[in-house]
Amino acid sequence: MNFPGTKVPRVAAEEWRALVRNRVAMIASLTLAALLVTSALLGVEQRNATQAARARYQATADETFDAQPDRHPHRMVHYGQFVFRPLSTLAFIDPGVDGFTGNTVFLEGHRQNSANFSEARQSSLLLRFGQLTPAFVLQTLAPLLIIFLAFGAVAREREQGTLRLLVAQGLRPSEFAAGKLLAHVGVVAAIAAPALLVLVAAALAGLAPPVPSLLMASGYLVYLSIWAATALLVSLLVRRARDSLLVLVAAWMGVVILAPRILPELAVARLPTPTRIETDVAIHHELKQIGDSHNPDDPYFSEFKAKTLARYGVEKVEQLPVQWAGLVGMEGERLTSGLFDRHAREAFAREAEQNRLVRRFGVISPLIAMRQLSMSLAATDTESHQDFLEQVERHRYAFVQALNLLQVTKIPNQNAGADPRISADHWKTLPGFTYRPPDVLLLAGGRIRDNLLVLMGWLAVLLVGCGLAARRLEATR
Amino acid sequence: MNAWKAELRLLFRARLSAGALLLLLVLTALSVAAGLAATARQQAVIARVEAAQGRDLASVTREYGKPDGDAGSAAYYTFHLTTDPPSPLAFAALGQRDVQPYVLRVRLLGLQSQLYESETLNPELALAGPFDFAFVLTYLVPLVLIALMHDLVSGEREAGRLRLLVSLPVSGRGVWGRRGVLRYLLVLGALLVPFVTGAAIARAPVVATFAIALAAALYVAFWWGLALWVAARGWSSAANGAALMACWIVLTLLAPALANAVISRAIPVARGVDLTLAQRERVHRAWDIPKEETFRPFFVKHPEWRDTPPVLGRFHWKWYYAMHEVGDEGVSAEVADYRQSMTDREVWTARLGWLLPAAAVQTLLHRAADSDLRAHLAYQRSIEAFHTRLRDFYYPYLFQERPFQKADFERLPRYQPRPSSASLPISPMIGLLVLAALVSGAAIRGVRALSSSAAREATGASPWGVRP
Repeated sequence: MNFPGTKVPRVAAEEWRALVRNRVAMIASLTLAALLVTSALLGVEQRNATQAARARYQATADETFDAQPDRHPHRMVHYGQFVFRPLSTLAFIDPGVDGFTGNTVFLEGHRQNSANFSEARQSSLLLRFGQLTPAFVLQTLAPLLIIFLAFGAVAREREQGTLRLLVAQGLRPSEFAAGKLLAHVGVVAAIAAPALLVLVAAALAGLAPPVPSLLMASGYLVYLSIWAATALLVSLLVRRARDSLLVLVAAWMGVVILAPRILPELAVARLPTPTRIETDVAIHHELKQIGDSHNPDDPYFSEFKAKTLARYGVEKVEQLPVQWAGLVGMEGERLTSGLFDRHAREAFAREAEQNRLVRRFGVISPLIAMRQLSMSLAATDTESHQDFLEQVERHRYAFVQALNLLQVTKIPNQNAGADPRISADHWKTLPGFTYRPPDVLLLAGGRIRDNLLVLMGWLAVLLVGCGLAARRLEATR
Repeated sequence: MNAWKAELRLLFRARLSAGALLLLLVLTALSVAAGLAATARQQAVIARVEAAQGRDLASVTREYGKPDGDAGSAAYYTFHLTTDPPSPLAFAALGQRDVQPYVLRVRLLGLQSQLYESETLNPELALAGPFDFAFVLTYLVPLVLIALMHDLVSGEREAGRLRLLVSLPVSGRGVWGRRGVLRYLLVLGALLVPFVTGAAIARAPVVATFAIALAAALYVAFWWGLALWVAARGWSSAANGAALMACWIVLTLLAPALANAVISRAIPVARGVDLTLAQRERVHRAWDIPKEETFRPFFVKHPEWRDTPPVLGRFHWKWYYAMHEVGDEGVSAEVADYRQSMTDREVWTARLGWLLPAAAVQTLLHRAADSDLRAHLAYQRSIEAFHTRLRDFYYPYLFQERPFQKADFERLPRYQPRPSSASLPISPMIGLLVLAALVSGAAIRGVRALSSSAAREATGASPWGVRP
């Protein structure tokens, strides 16, 4: 009786030897490795270029704002500010939804504008074939290579009769299976190594946040191991290598190519969303119901007037020490922004519900769980974008109200003249937009945990399946 | 005829072949249904928005349609709805309709600050692209063909029947022809029966439907030829399968993604941001400069209003709208540049069709369905034309200082959806034709060589004609 432990690495080593000798397998693996390196380098370059362009735009937009001449503050409310969304560091691995969301928002008074100029709206249909990023290679192509390398791990040896021979020589089928698994998990590590090394290097060099980087690397290792374990399981169960390949390619098709396209259709059909125009009309209508600042007899603004007069202890608006129109503007902005916030929250909630419907299928398609995990960790998921929009809206409100306050305090309430203006020096005192990148562990902690759990659950189930299948092999010995 | 029947029976007896064909039929039918549902949803959204807009317009009319109503305020508060309903063939190729807005409201203000507004969009759902006929055709059909064809020859050899088959005196060659043609026709049938049904339901124009069917037939011919050519090489089934899968990955996933990276780098389109920034500067600068400076370029374009009374006070609506028009006018070069760079991206994608059948078929389908970037640019241009009509409508009120009353609201110009900009591009069709012909030609030569060499082998002759 040999030490059972020594046989497992031996089986693995034999499998590696066979793979190294297989020229096609080597060429395919090297091609994929080259692709990963290329896409990672391209990704870094692209991310930095995009980030630099957005920072440059932000700087010019801020400069031109500060350089505006003396004006009435309300003119500046309409001149507005432009805000550009900075790109997270890890976007070089997975740009996520960045190509599909606009990355610039125009901020002005009375209105909440959308984020515009997304890459998807300005590109030909080629963009929809997928972007060449490490995430695309790791999520879509690498599983196919793993399948291709591992589909015959057991089935081929069975077909060729070597399995029977090995077992006759005293190798236990469970050791055999464990060895094959070890071999292919090793292959997974080798395949993912180029991208993961870049990731770890970026984290160590302080360029990328360390914990998300490490979690991302582990996530991809688990995801790819799922494919290795699936391939092994099918290879253990199916009689012929050919059938094993067929089953596995079909599974890849369903999980990686079909599910991500069919599920969104389902989500949109089941949970329709109102368009921007409908929301705008609804906000306008609700606003009319709350109060109309232009209508002198409007009950809400009559009350507001009474309260304001009481607060300053005067009888007529003309006697107010501050500018009355500015006060009305501030109150109006407060009302509209409240409505914007509510409608935005509702829209986010609807989006979240649609996404939940799709993400629930992460239990069926590990790709969905992996994609989600990867985007969350890279801060390029829908929620990070929403976080940006919320920060932008908070800034918009602060900026518009700051200008309104200037109008209240700096423009005379009486006899201001035909064209009252305040000094341009004030523009520089207004807050510029500073984006606070979200801490993804706080923002997406729950989702990251859930998706990791789904992936590990998949791996665990598959490993148990492999164990059971190996035992069945033992029974038929 | 009997031989055909026998081949058909053989084909359906193989579980893999029958399963692959059935799956293709089901998935195509599903994709056509999903496409029809998506276009119906877009129509419903348009109807909903029209209703909301109608309510909004009614309330604006009530508020500003007074006997002494002011055209300036009316124009400021009245939004005008524009819509871009899906073409009848959009169900087959939804293209960019999921990311581009197909309803947009504009008013008399500067158009360039209104044109790029984006619609509420859940980016995560758009990420993978739509599930439509174009997707099934581009991605899934090659896989079905690979499953059906990769062991066409090697399967016979591995079963030990190859020598017998090629040495049959009557049907030696005919057998491959029959098998090949049968598979081609069955795949095409599984694809076209649901598509043509969908086109009939959507009342699509016959010529465009035929063009899409032709593009599909050529694309299928390309993959069919490729699979047959590989099958005739004489490798094992496994090697054939692997080689064909590699072709599929390169031709439908890798090369297009790479090409997109190259094209988007070579033709940057940040100009969209540039032009809105520039337009904002121009419009807002107008508040700080003498009004004549704004009116000068305006009157060059609109001499008919030159002799109206000058604007003396701080504000007049006619000056306000003139300044917006001048702001738009001032960035017309940037607008042209921006559109040109987007068109260039499209053009280069179409050129890619000479090398990449997937790009050719996508270009063709989306052009015929009028759902690509070009279609959206056509929508933008039609909004622009409508905006000009709006100016022509409002300016007489503003410049002649006529009151704007309730009846005038009823005379407001209405946006008519643009005529379809769909076209049947010749170049990707020729590209597909050339690619399909080249590959199929090579495949047929390969099969002939296979038959004769195997026949010689069977009769004992070496492939070189002399026994070594």
